[in-house]
Amino acid sequence: MSTPVQAAVADQNAEQTGADVQIDALGPDGPYRSRRRAPLSALSGAPVGEISQVPALYVRRTLAAMRAAPVLPIAARLDALDRAAELFATATIGGFDLDGYLQLVSTASGVPRAVVSVGVEWITDVLRSQRHTMALARPNGAVDAWRDERTVAGSAVWTRRGDLFAVHAAGNTPAVHGLWPEALALGYKVVVRPSSREPYTAFRLVEALRQAGFPPATVTLLPTDHDVADILIHESDFAIVYGGQDVVDKYGAVPTVLTQGPGRSKILVTADVDWREKIDIIADSVSHLGGTACTCTTAVLVEGDPEPLAAALAERLGRVPSLSPEHPDAILTVQPVAAARAVDSYLHQVAGDARALLGGDSIVDELPGGGAVLRPAVHLVDAARAPQLGVELPFPCVWVGPWSPADGVAPLRDTLVLTAMTTRADLIDALLDEPSITNLYLGDHPTTWLRPGVPHDGYLAEHLMRTKGMIRSDVPRSTSEPVPPTD
Amino acid sequence: MSFDLLDLPEPDRPPVDPEEYLRALMRWHFSVETGSPFWLRRAQSLDFDPIHDVRTFGDLRRFPNVVDEFRAVPVEDLVPRGLTGADRVIAGVYESGGTTGLPKRFVMFDRWMEFALGWDESHYAALGTANVLLVGPSGPHMFGEFARRRARRHDGMLFAVDLDPRWIKKLLERGDAAESERYVEHVVDQAAHILSTQTVGILITTPPLLERLTRRNDLVETIRKDVRYLCWSGAHLDADTREIFQTEIFPGIPLKGLYGSTTILGMSRERDVERADGLAAFDPPSPYIVFRVVDPETGEDVAFGERGQVVMNHLTKYALIPNNLERDHAMSIEPPAGWFGCSVADVGPVATFGDTTVIEGVY
Repeated sequence: MSTPVQAAVADQNAEQTGADVQIDALGPDGPYRSRRRAPLSALSGAPVGEISQVPALYVRRTLAAMRAAPVLPIAARLDALDRAAELFATATIGGFDLDGYLQLVSTASGVPRAVVSVGVEWITDVLRSQRHTMALARPNGAVDAWRDERTVAGSAVWTRRGDLFAVHAAGNTPAVHGLWPEALALGYKVVVRPSSREPYTAFRLVEALRQAGFPPATVTLLPTDHDVADILIHESDFAIVYGGQDVVDKYGAVPTVLTQGPGRSKILVTADVDWREKIDIIADSVSHLGGTACTCTTAVLVEGDPEPLAAALAERLGRVPSLSPEHPDAILTVQPVAAARAVDSYLHQVAGDARALLGGDSIVDELPGGGAVLRPAVHLVDAARAPQLGVELPFPCVWVGPWSPADGVAPLRDTLVLTAMTTRADLIDALLDEPSITNLYLGDHPTTWLRPGVPHDGYLAEHLMRTKGMIRSDVPRSTSEPVPPTD
Repeated sequence: MSFDLLDLPEPDRPPVDPEEYLRALMRWHFSVETGSPFWLRRAQSLDFDPIHDVRTFGDLRRFPNVVDEFRAVPVEDLVPRGLTGADRVIAGVYESGGTTGLPKRFVMFDRWMEFALGWDESHYAALGTANVLLVGPSGPHMFGEFARRRARRHDGMLFAVDLDPRWIKKLLERGDAAESERYVEHVVDQAAHILSTQTVGILITTPPLLERLTRRNDLVETIRKDVRYLCWSGAHLDADTREIFQTEIFPGIPLKGLYGSTTILGMSRERDVERADGLAAFDPPSPYIVFRVVDPETGEDVAFGERGQVVMNHLTKYALIPNNLERDHAMSIEPPAGWFGCSVADVGPVATFGDTTVIEGVY
């Protein structure tokens, strides 16, 4: 907090050399550059810069300062979110204009430029939609503020369950930053621990929000190691944590932690639907965002013989070109070669008796400029309950298997998004009743379909807000010093 | 044969030649008249003759690390027979933390303890009369007795809140974070009561406990008002946290560390000159306590500026504890001119030590 530093990454040459990027903490008193920093590097191994690693003491003092900070009134929050959308999408932030930022993220993290671009649009939409989303998420019986006339006759008031919301972000796609702005809209103060692989989007977004009017103590960025990140998660009122099954296992039982683990999204095609007409939607569901999102399809279950569909899918996905992440047409994620080989080796291990139709030899395609593309893989399994159907990997990797009405809903459980290509209303009823299917799309909608206002894992407000009953006789008069308006 | 040069330093006596000192020390510990039963017995299984073969500081590396034997040896056997009179007055028997297995026991002699306590005396010179609050381990550890003697030197009272580091480590090992939180809160509550009702001039504690105390704004205010010296020891303090303590939370109050171990029966003192990297640097009282920093793979000394594992030596007529590989890692830095070994900075725990996972808790 005491280190005087300019806003990070301000070096004029940063875009050319890329080696001077500094991701500072954005604390309650401004940017903070800790002495302990971790290197940031590009896929090629070339240095990009450094990211601060703030100590536990800094984290706790930041949380205390955030708790002490007043909540921004609702109107100011929503206006600031609108302005932040504009800044995030267009402004030069930390020395990077939009183009420079897209370039930085793709070269440094290997997320294709086009995927980053889609992520930026999504986050911008989310920021702009908060008025609308809040209205949709609020229970019908509740009003936003106690001053609402309806409380005179008695009604529910929508109130926060807590004050501080922590985000333990991931770097697989910038789109992970599309959920937490809802917490800011609701009046939570938000502390973000960025991914150390791709901290640039979190930095850009937090900085945009602050420039747009959120006081520094209401939204902060705290780059830390994993041990210190645990403090953030445990000492905030609520947290959202991105990660693999290990993260789900670690925090799954903690009621204040919302885990964003493997999505295991699936597509079901029943016999009354001709899959040939849907193959593009199915292929897109697998490869959209480079296969790195939890909404990307991991398994396709087909009533009847799954092989023709699997073969067609392999043919479509096999055509996706291997390109460097900066290429405008690239959609496949690039990782350091060693990391890509590790994914490939894991795929071989888990594939077991599944038959590979694509990617069976290797999914690793090394690029001349450094790093390796993770190429799509399509495998065929022989049963609706094959364990491979639940294996989600961070690239377009899909398992295709048979399904029959006798298998029922069981093979479709534990699914973030299920696209059901079916006309059977009783099956749709059963799928909607299944608690472990989070979202159900019907017909011609890819599992990756999203729109602000339509919940992704419920509305965040379901976790962060509650209703309180209220009845009042008259409007209390203000004293000489008016109480700051609550929301 | 005179062993005068083994006497602890006095103001008007010229400093000893370190290698001459070392050779006299070998004669002391390995002569039947003056050595301890432990070393006289142990010498029989050494593959060298310490009196003839240990001529230089480097030769000490021929000694095996014997501290594991201090877990079971009767403490009487550790007393050198040559100690008599005031030299023979025992301050206490102290145990190592027990971080890496069962504790080891060491005999602390009164004269040596006074010398060890005085090693960083210059830091306290201007404080005058002051009460001392220790928030840290007493019990079988030497920390508490050092605090008591510190208070005596300032004509002050000692307030002590005990912390049992072994219990915390047990809780953490079995994953009971909630219980260890409750225990530490209990310790902090007790310290808070003393701070709010008494006047404490010197606060001695560990960095994690100091961090705990600062979570309470009223305690920060009280410490700022009353405390004139903050002494930390017993755990790692990174440069960023140190800077926040120094510049934001306790500006103007000296924050000085001691880095030591029961296995050397003393401490190294924090150097007064600030380093550019913000790390605390520690000088041991050579030639009585001497550090090396070695590559854990090869056992060879690392160059100044490099990190490695700390090897400690206690080399006095009160005890001989050579070549002890400690759990800590540190950066080796250049010692003051003419001193044995090296000084250290950036002391921190190793991830694993033998088969026991080291857990750095609040101690």
